[in-house]
Amino acid sequence: MSALGYYLERAGIMTTGISLVRENTQAMQPPRALWVPFPLGRPLGIPNDIAFQHRVIRAALALLDYDEGPVLVDYPEEAQAPNIETNLACPVSFNTTTTQEQSWHNVLGEELAQLRPWYELSKRRRKGRTLVGISEDSIEDILAKLGQLLDANALPTKNLKWFKLAIEDAKVFYIEALTAQPGDYSAEAIEQTLWHKTALGTGLQIFYEHFAATPNLAIVARLIASRRAIGAATGGAITARPTDNKET
Amino acid sequence: MVRLSDLPDYERKHLLEKNMPPLGALPWCVSNKPLSDKRIALITTAGLHFRGDNAFDFADPTFRPIATTDNANNLVMSHSSANFDRSGFVEDVNLVFPLQRFQELLAEQTIGSLADVHYSFMGAGLMPEMYENSAAQVAGLLKKDQVDAVFLTPV
Repeated sequence: MSALGYYLERAGIMTTGISLVRENTQAMQPPRALWVPFPLGRPLGIPNDIAFQHRVIRAALALLDYDEGPVLVDYPEEAQAPNIETNLACPVSFNTTTTQEQSWHNVLGEELAQLRPWYELSKRRRKGRTLVGISEDSIEDILAKLGQLLDANALPTKNLKWFKLAIEDAKVFYIEALTAQPGDYSAEAIEQTLWHKTALGTGLQIFYEHFAATPNLAIVARLIASRRAIGAATGGAITARPTDNKET
Repeated sequence: MVRLSDLPDYERKHLLEKNMPPLGALPWCVSNKPLSDKRIALITTAGLHFRGDNAFDFADPTFRPIATTDNANNLVMSHSSANFDRSGFVEDVNLVFPLQRFQELLAEQTIGSLADVHYSFMGAGLMPEMYENSAAQVAGLLKKDQVDAVFLTPV
């Protein structure tokens, strides 16, 4: 973000914008930046709060009036965080105990069948808006393929680009299904449910561990799970174990 | 909240490792017209694009166009980082790419006009210098579009 501000301003185009990590912005010194105390992923603060978003935008646009810079201004208004304890009512009862006896392919398929009506409800509430669909595969095919890989204890080392898009589609399908009912949800609550209550979360943690322990592919683990989901620095706290993964 | 003092040690350490020095002498353009006459473009580094576009690769300095006339609700995200919230963007595209908010600013004549085309980058996995060529390309496109100022949003 700061780099684009630098290069565009150097080319003669004024820039202003949002900073989410003040220390990074302070170090790079882009021409104009409004630091906001909002979570990563939410640069305008609160979804669907038009007045709030306009206040943030106007504060950033006001930086264009400064006569000299660089300018780094702190935005004073907090975005009220949703209550992490109470705000996510799970629409389905996830069964995480069956993975010991059943195939991953079947467990993920059953979980998908449970979530599908909630995903459709979510899509209707959002007037058709969905982020699912960056992979060319259907969500059914994605979960089936992920299940097959888990059943085979294999990593998609020959098809990493597909894997990146497929897990993004899978995660966002779950997020949309879990947030089918109206309301502003706590990102922490969604993450806790996704990673600690669903079979997909358990399966993705297995992929994470295998990639993190595979020479030259440890960086792929970062695509799979956030540091918060894993509970420590990426690659740091995962117990590396010998990899006997087959390549696919 | 992204206050380093509120974050766990591993997260604070990771974010501080991203501190980079300025890329060169600090550039500064002087404003020569009021905001109500300025033509504004939006640029996001959230890895947004439409389904028909190429998704962003693992580390990718390229960019995707988003026209003012496009329906921003159809934007999807192929950002490589797993370390930010997606649920807010699922709920409201304007939280990350506030095209509708700027159309409202245009309607009330707070800004002069909106660029025909806005741009999306994916800010992850690369050193800042890697964006120089694509930023220069976008600067040329913005000038052709007679853009006066850019509003940048990270994710």
